[in-house]
Amino acid sequence: MRTLLNIVLGLVVLGGVALLAFIAVPVQPTPPQQQVAADWQPEEGQGEYAMRLADCAACHTAPGGERFAGGRAIESPLGTIYSSNITPDDETGIGGWSLEDFRAALYDGMRPDGTHLYPAMPYENYRKLTEEDVRALYHYFIEEVEPVQNAAPEADLPFPFDQRWTLRGWKWLALDEPGFRADTDDPVLARGEYIVEGPGHCSACHTPRNAIMAEAAVDTSDEAFLSGGEIAGWTAPALRGPGSAIAGWSQEDLVAIFSTGRNAHAAVNGEMQLVIQDSTQYMSEEDLAAMSAYLVGLNEGVLLERSEDVTETEALIASADPDMPLGARLYIDNCNACHFANGRGADEVFPELDGNSLVTAESPTGLISMILGGSELPSTPKRPYSLRMPGFSDRLTDEEVAELASFVRQGWSNDAAVVSADDVADLRGEAEAKVE
Amino acid sequence: MTPKFLQTSRRAFLGGSAAAAALSALSEPALAQRNQPTLDQYEPVYLTAAEWAFVMAAVARIIPSDGDGPGAIEARVPVFIDRQLAGDFGAASDLYMEGPFAPEADMNLGTQSPLTPAEIYRQGIAAFDAWCRSEQGAALGDLDPDAQDAALQALADDEVGLKPELREFWTLLLQNTKEGYFADPRHGGNAGMQAWVYIGFPGARANFHEWAGRDEAYPLGPVDIAGERA
Repeated sequence: MRTLLNIVLGLVVLGGVALLAFIAVPVQPTPPQQQVAADWQPEEGQGEYAMRLADCAACHTAPGGERFAGGRAIESPLGTIYSSNITPDDETGIGGWSLEDFRAALYDGMRPDGTHLYPAMPYENYRKLTEEDVRALYHYFIEEVEPVQNAAPEADLPFPFDQRWTLRGWKWLALDEPGFRADTDDPVLARGEYIVEGPGHCSACHTPRNAIMAEAAVDTSDEAFLSGGEIAGWTAPALRGPGSAIAGWSQEDLVAIFSTGRNAHAAVNGEMQLVIQDSTQYMSEEDLAAMSAYLVGLNEGVLLERSEDVTETEALIASADPDMPLGARLYIDNCNACHFANGRGADEVFPELDGNSLVTAESPTGLISMILGGSELPSTPKRPYSLRMPGFSDRLTDEEVAELASFVRQGWSNDAAVVSADDVADLRGEAEAKVE
Repeated sequence: MTPKFLQTSRRAFLGGSAAAAALSALSEPALAQRNQPTLDQYEPVYLTAAEWAFVMAAVARIIPSDGDGPGAIEARVPVFIDRQLAGDFGAASDLYMEGPFAPEADMNLGTQSPLTPAEIYRQGIAAFDAWCRSEQGAALGDLDPDAQDAALQALADDEVGLKPELREFWTLLLQNTKEGYFADPRHGGNAGMQAWVYIGFPGARANFHEWAGRDEAYPLGPVDIAGERA
């Protein structure tokens, strides 16, 4: 009996020591992935360009706030997380961080004091950054950005997710090997792959999350990578495979969407507008071409389901029959002027609804939000005009929005589930709460 | 002749409509339009009782109710005019209103009155009703239709002795009556889109190009900016 007690006691003590070690023993940060000379300096503008590639601004700037001063609320399924201040302010920012500290934040999701960062910071992807990009970013944020004093609010997560030390275990399960390894020998495609997998962190939204809410895949060789995810209730569409939103798009189509937010098929919506606004529109022609070529390659062999014939939907709309179903009638009265009877819209102005990933997404959240609140494209040097779709919340009741959304989800070659008025009521309530 | 810069441009009208749509949170729900007070219950925002009586009488002669389609009264044109005069249009918010003014200058030189449209209505109605009383024995609203037509004809022919500052009165009244008849119902006139139904205009649907050039009537009734169908 005494022996058994001793063993149990011993195990408890051992477990306690292990737990303390787990909490208290510092994590060994990931070392540089390439050798770069100690006196290496980025070229003029290289740091800022790396910041654009990594799109630091989108998350680390609050709406109406100082650039990079953090405080932007990021809704996660577990609660609200606030982005941190990454200006070189000594008190509230990253002033005084060493290169090693900075790299540990990007690669390992660690602050210098050992605090674990929530994976809203995409270190799963930033682990692939080259040492040159890390050094360029470090130079930019420490030497080029002006310090701003602004303490970001604490994350608002329920127990146990507010226990940041547990993230050490999560990282142990979730994090892949650091460093980037191309899936191709072609240097152009490899550059595109690097941007997508690494700094561009496309996968943070466009890849599904697994059981522990890590990205299901972080590199091209795995078919789950870029197979579609969700962000703030909106669907981030698949970029490869059978439901790919960009199937059939040319390299030029992709370059256009990245540099202007619009192309012959689509207009970006939701969070992707921030990506265009703060990141991709600043990419060089070479990088845009590389990234686009890589994405075209991912979609080789994916066939478009769209029919080129006149669809029943188009014939119904064109008939202007007063006895047509309400959904079709609402389309004529509200949508047809821009998106047309064939659902094809107009190149670079009105996005196609036939085959549109927002329209046919499994979750209708994005489509309903779009109908209720409208959308405005970012202005870019190549396409300065902020084209705007108006919201229809004052024109349409919940039932009408549901009829209309169901109609476009099943119109032309689309084949998505119908929408209920309750779905609409919930989203309208949220939208109105935000306005107030 | 309508002074060009008193006319609401289509671009400004559409822009204003789009802006109004964007401010949906501030606008009344579209459904509220159905429960409007009748014209005799309507409480004018800008016009006095005497001015309201004049506008009711004048628009009823400009677009009478005994023709094929709805008259200005059925279309609630007086409501449109009252609301316009109470708003930016009446206050000349979009017009250059600094001097020098030369009210007696040639009409081809455009509007020269220092008065806003709301002031032109106020002074114009008073002066014209005074002329009606002295020539016909009663204010316009109290005359019989033939006498009203004769009086309005005299006004249109500039034969009622209005001072130069008021010479746009008739063109404004005529223009605003047409606008109230055909404008989107959100502005108070064209009640129930009756004017659009009458002329076969499909309203704010904005596109029916599948039907352009076809030698048959477009089958759908109009839709207004609030999304109502008629």
